[in-house]
Amino acid sequence: MKDNITGIVDRIVGRIGKTTDKVIPLLQAIQQEFNYLPEEALQRVCDTTDIVPSSVYGIATFYSQFRLRPVGKHIIKVCVGTACHVKGAMLVHDALRRELKLHNHEDTDAGGTFTIEQVACLGCCTLAPVVQIDDVTYGHVTTGKVPEILDDFLHLKRSPAAPAVAPTLDGVERVQGEIRIGLGSCCVASGSAAVKSEIENTLRRNNIHVNVKHVGCVGICNQVPILEIQKPGEAPSFYAKIKPEEVNEVIRHHFKPEKAMPRLRNSLYNVFDQLVTKDMPHSVKHYSSGETDTPVAEFLHGQVSIATEYRGEMKPSDINEYKSRDGFKALHSCLHEKSPADVIDIIAKSGLRGRGGAGFPTGVKWKLVREAVSEEKFMICNGDEGDPGAFMDRMLLESYPFRILEGMIIAAYAVGAHNGLFYIRAEYPLAVKRIREAIEICRHEGILGDHVLGSGFSFDVRIFEGAGAFVCGEETSLIASVEGKRGLPTMRPPYPANKGLHGKPTLINNVETLSLISWIIRHGAEAFNSIGTENSKGTKVFALAGKISRGGLIEVPMGISIRKIVEEIGGGIPDGKKFKAIQIGGPSGGCIPASMADIPIDYASLTAAGAMMGSGGLIVLDESDCMVDIARYFLSFTQDQSCGRCTFCRIGTRRMLEILEKISNGKGTDCDLAELESLALKTKSGSICGLGKSAPNPVLTTLRYFREEYEAHIHGKCPTGKCKGLVKYSITTDCIGCTRCAQQCPSGAITANPYEIHVVDNEKCIQCDICRQACPVNAVITT
Amino acid sequence: MIHLTIDHISLSVPEGSSVLEAARTAGMDIPSMCYKEGHDNHPSCMVCMVRDRKTGNLFPSCSIKVTEGMDLISNDEQVKEARRDALELLLSDHVGDCEAPCSLACPAGMNIPLMNRLIAANRFDESLKVVKEEIALPYILGFICPAPCEKACRRRQIDDSVSICLLKRFVAAEDEKSGQWLPPVEVSTGKKVAILGSGPAGLAAAYYLLQKGHGCVVYDKNAEAGGALRYSVPAEKLTRAALDAEIHRIERYGARFILGTAVSRELFASEISKGYDAVILATGDTAVEGELLSLFSSSKSGISVTEGTYETSEAGVFACGSVLRAQKMAVRAVAQGKAAALAADQYLRGMKPIPERKKFNSRFDKLSEPEFAEYLREASGEKQIAPGGGEMAGFTPEEAIREAARCMHCDCRKLDECKLRNYADAYHADRKKYATGERKLMTRHTDHPEVVYEPEKCIRCGLCIDITVKNNEYTGLTFIGRGFDVRIEVPFGKPMSAALVKSVKECVESCPTGALSFKYKT
Repeated sequence: MKDNITGIVDRIVGRIGKTTDKVIPLLQAIQQEFNYLPEEALQRVCDTTDIVPSSVYGIATFYSQFRLRPVGKHIIKVCVGTACHVKGAMLVHDALRRELKLHNHEDTDAGGTFTIEQVACLGCCTLAPVVQIDDVTYGHVTTGKVPEILDDFLHLKRSPAAPAVAPTLDGVERVQGEIRIGLGSCCVASGSAAVKSEIENTLRRNNIHVNVKHVGCVGICNQVPILEIQKPGEAPSFYAKIKPEEVNEVIRHHFKPEKAMPRLRNSLYNVFDQLVTKDMPHSVKHYSSGETDTPVAEFLHGQVSIATEYRGEMKPSDINEYKSRDGFKALHSCLHEKSPADVIDIIAKSGLRGRGGAGFPTGVKWKLVREAVSEEKFMICNGDEGDPGAFMDRMLLESYPFRILEGMIIAAYAVGAHNGLFYIRAEYPLAVKRIREAIEICRHEGILGDHVLGSGFSFDVRIFEGAGAFVCGEETSLIASVEGKRGLPTMRPPYPANKGLHGKPTLINNVETLSLISWIIRHGAEAFNSIGTENSKGTKVFALAGKISRGGLIEVPMGISIRKIVEEIGGGIPDGKKFKAIQIGGPSGGCIPASMADIPIDYASLTAAGAMMGSGGLIVLDESDCMVDIARYFLSFTQDQSCGRCTFCRIGTRRMLEILEKISNGKGTDCDLAELESLALKTKSGSICGLGKSAPNPVLTTLRYFREEYEAHIHGKCPTGKCKGLVKYSITTDCIGCTRCAQQCPSGAITANPYEIHVVDNEKCIQCDICRQACPVNAVITT
Repeated sequence: MIHLTIDHISLSVPEGSSVLEAARTAGMDIPSMCYKEGHDNHPSCMVCMVRDRKTGNLFPSCSIKVTEGMDLISNDEQVKEARRDALELLLSDHVGDCEAPCSLACPAGMNIPLMNRLIAANRFDESLKVVKEEIALPYILGFICPAPCEKACRRRQIDDSVSICLLKRFVAAEDEKSGQWLPPVEVSTGKKVAILGSGPAGLAAAYYLLQKGHGCVVYDKNAEAGGALRYSVPAEKLTRAALDAEIHRIERYGARFILGTAVSRELFASEISKGYDAVILATGDTAVEGELLSLFSSSKSGISVTEGTYETSEAGVFACGSVLRAQKMAVRAVAQGKAAALAADQYLRGMKPIPERKKFNSRFDKLSEPEFAEYLREASGEKQIAPGGGEMAGFTPEEAIREAARCMHCDCRKLDECKLRNYADAYHADRKKYATGERKLMTRHTDHPEVVYEPEKCIRCGLCIDITVKNNEYTGLTFIGRGFDVRIEVPFGKPMSAALVKSVKECVESCPTGALSFKYKT
């Protein structure tokens, strides 16, 4: 084994390099090989490279991606992102641990079959709560379904893995139309790959000549997998939540029109019903684009596509298609018709502000880097999306790789950088793959490399895969990690614009910011700044999820009201519940109550409300969500993600979390509330980077708008019944004596005599919620 | 040169200086723990906070470079509060004792662990000096002290406490046999102090006043000196030999005893208050000397004094011992005797007496079981040793060494150098302010021949890591993990002896707390 490890490590070192900045890529490659980082392998790295033990260990334990212990045969990832959290992810997590009989800090079962881990966000927020076992994704998981899921996974008949990129039917002479299928991460998670291969089979069997195109994220994540059929001269038709076995019927309906489809037609009439009864079994829903009152049309109405221009129409890795839709026109005009100063001028006039969270004016940033005097400058695209309730950057990277590259090249030209870096989370394998493909294609086409598009400007890009640390969204931490260090932020100034990567002036822009650049150049600054409000121009992409009928990726004009997003685009709150609040900006943002839903989405008004624009996570909360629990959730995230350097962030966030835990256990006092608030303010002013400065926001906003809920906890009651320490399960007289709850109770806490009212022993109850979900008559209640 | 203003003082410093450096060149005292000159360490402790006058923003002065026209505040309430907050947060995550629980429990505040270590190292004479710093009558107290220190001893949780009282008697007895050491006296002041009462409080006061260079005359109504020690404590408990020896030693040190003389109101007025520069009132039980005591304001329990300085209502008259209130423990009377003597000394030198302030102390609750082994790393595992010759005979040297070796070194090895303690003291930090979480379990890494590493005392500043990197240590130290649970360890689980080879001294001296410290050398 040891010789084997040595050989493998030596090969990896030979491929990647020996310098100190290679430590993260080296560890990633080693883990890829062994599934974890064996100590011998790390020792070998130290023995054969410039990298020292302290660096290897410091890094291997800083980034969440790395594991120092062997794992089971299969890895269960329980998404604990915000959307999953509000839908009970922790109950699912606990149930999985119970099922696998894991004790204390164990994460692998005795047989070595499964290793369980929590992940911040799988980006399938609309399927919440989500559990992924290896490459199989289970959505809408409930605690009671856990044994079934494990069983299902182990007995799954593995079909030979479908090739990631299917053989394309491009180039077929006679084309009857085009079938588009979304292949964004959440489409894939919902089974679009199986649908796609079924489409190809059907076409082949029936000898139908149609282009099958995998398009990027359509944004309508709540209806995935979604199939779109385009026929020349006809309005496009959409099929939502389609299953492989339904494909045949759909295709034959469109391309052999004489065949009728009674069942599908019925489902069309039932569209509205299905919307309100969303728990109906997955059935095909067919919408025509001409209809205005369908969920799809409503969802898209009110949105403006700039970052997501041509959404659902383009195959992500097809450069010709990108070019045919004005792709690289902006770059061409910049390189051949505009000086860098002109470009900066347009961006400055457009009013564009950074979309990564803080909203710094992009034009000003570019100007600063332009003016910094240096032989060498760097351009970095920040795709280290870490907000546990957001997946915009992932979708943009997966769906519009060329657009982001174009924005990046323009930015590099404007500031005079010749080396670029895509910083993408390693947790986003598809995004990495798409960008890698796009870079290759661009090099081939002369869009990257020497003399970009025949101009005097040269620029090339490489990819750096982030190893999982929320703090690396912070510019200076991101730079540290690229340099092969622990992702610790440093004090600014100096700003990266003057002293960034390797001490050189560095421009860092967020994915979404860069995805807007080509549109602005093509349409002019005025076209962009005519959208939005006084201080916030253009559009903003949000990952809309949580307690919302139609979640998904949306792009809305700045200034749109929260209400319009929730009620019109999102279709309101499901299950007849009341809209309570939105959580915007993730761990750095805050909760805005429904009573303030008419405030516009712009930088100033969100900040005034105590929240912030953030990177684009937008989670809708309903009356069943506990605000103390939400605050606790975010604090538990940030205190874990803090780099652990400055006192206020490292200890302050933990102490806040402890106070919140005390409150949610009903042991809080009025003094604790005052203490919590004061500590939150101190942490805000005393921390050195954005993470610590914004970490108290979820606490401060919930205290500001929902103080009475905190007070209720102090008086021993969680009004929504979410906080375990304050909840008791009981069974009402509605009980029909079916014993179902008792049969499923994992802790034997229910005494159930058939046909008598069952009784919960709260001493034994572990509050897994299985009984409540199992009861056919809603007789199990929490008080 | 860059021009800036800190606290309205204009400074000119070279470009590239940090605000902290700028302030220090001007002699301003900004506290700092994680900063070390020549090291580009990340700011972490946040106690060097200053405030921008214009924006009001707080920032760590060690990490911001000076810019032209900066206008900063380094000492207003807001800045101080922010520093105190940082210290209180650090303290909430700091597990360890500054002074050992035994020392804190000792009314005289004796440095017990140091005494123990010196005994264990067969350095009995040095150990006596440590004792005599606080306790004037160790031989006597070695017989009769109820030893609150032993009740607080952490060893008690594991088996039995260290026999501190017997050890103290042992060093005193050894000294009695050999050198009968007395500390050198300071230059004579020519002042004279009357001490009324020759019990434990009076004797102790005499001892420390003599040490300070004052003349002392001890009055006592009884025919023999010793007060309650002689007249209330039975000889079976306290041998008369020990009592006489200790009194004799104070006499030898320069005290004059006037015995069989009860000081009446008249005598006080005519002789004492006229003939002496100061008076120590240590007459013991108040009932007996009621007449004299009516000269001073008092309460039900006894004479009223200013807390800490033992000043009575009459200038120059100090009171200590049972005259204040009936004392159950002679050691408390001895401690008061010292405090009253030090206050009288200040008075005699024309200064306003200032009480000795108790310095900040980090403390924690009981040891929990997993910590026993950690604490026993440097201690003998033997059970409590009973003197072979019986309780009254006390320890033989060999027994004393074995018993002293049971001490677990609860006190911090950087008692005086620890910046966390010093700043916590200066900023009046409340160590319990953020005590909301479970305390971490103490661990001790003692494998290194010279160094002890106690991670739970670490503030995660990372200076030691930075130093090992600079010194090209191959293994070195590293941060493990992130967030609240980040800690400093040796990579690959190697021992500290592998981590610190070339950097031992620099790391230990740069560590702002007692996390890295030198082992006690014998």
